[in-house]
Amino acid sequence: MRIRVLFFGQLKEITGLAQEEAELSDGAKVDDLFERYGRRFPKLAEFRGSIATSVNQEYADWRQPLETGDEVAFLPPVSGG
Amino acid sequence: MAHSDDIFLLVRERIDTEEVVAQLKAPEDGAVVVFDGFVRNNFKGQRTLYLEYESYETMAYAKIREMGAEIHQKFPIHRVGIVHRLGRLEIGETSVVIVITSAHRAAAFDACRYAIDTLKRVVPIWKKEYFAGGAVWAEGEESWQEAISRPKESIS
Repeated sequence: MRIRVLFFGQLKEITGLAQEEAELSDGAKVDDLFERYGRRFPKLAEFRGSIATSVNQEYADWRQPLETGDEVAFLPPVSGG
Repeated sequence: MAHSDDIFLLVRERIDTEEVVAQLKAPEDGAVVVFDGFVRNNFKGQRTLYLEYESYETMAYAKIREMGAEIHQKFPIHRVGIVHRLGRLEIGETSVVIVITSAHRAAAFDACRYAIDTLKRVVPIWKKEYFAGGAVWAEGEESWQEAISRPKESIS
């Protein structure tokens, strides 16, 4: 299945990616997607404990199963205002 | 419930606070509370040159609209305005304006405080601070993990 992946803030700078399409096997969860990027960008993996994730613009659990066409974002702690 | 005369905006140009207030005030209101957040010239004693804000805009709009609906449920107020600026901001420029109109002051004060506190925990906007010696991403609110690990129902 095809997933659109977005990175923001510091995570965008670490990966050099604002967005990318990823191909995952059926049944994959948000965590599986992050692990894949963590292997590709070891520095990114260090942020696992402090970041949040969203699926289709809603905060999501790391164990949330993904479906083709989903938009997943990895979000550093927000600092607006 | 969304109120059609609320204002929710992410903008890249200067925010005119007075104009936002003027658009929201109505004859049946007796109170308006305005929070105007602007760029401070220092961070922990280090002189700030300027800031850059970025956002996950589609999600930020969704979260701001959810906040607006929630504020109407929680507080007896009339209208909500939330305007956040993105891109590069200079010292003293307004980054966020929150306007609450209501019949009486207490609800407007409470709703405004709730709105800025919730925005800072929930809305996906990030601030990068530029100093003479480099730049850092702001660390965000300490309650971030708590805010996002709560079920959707309690933050929206």
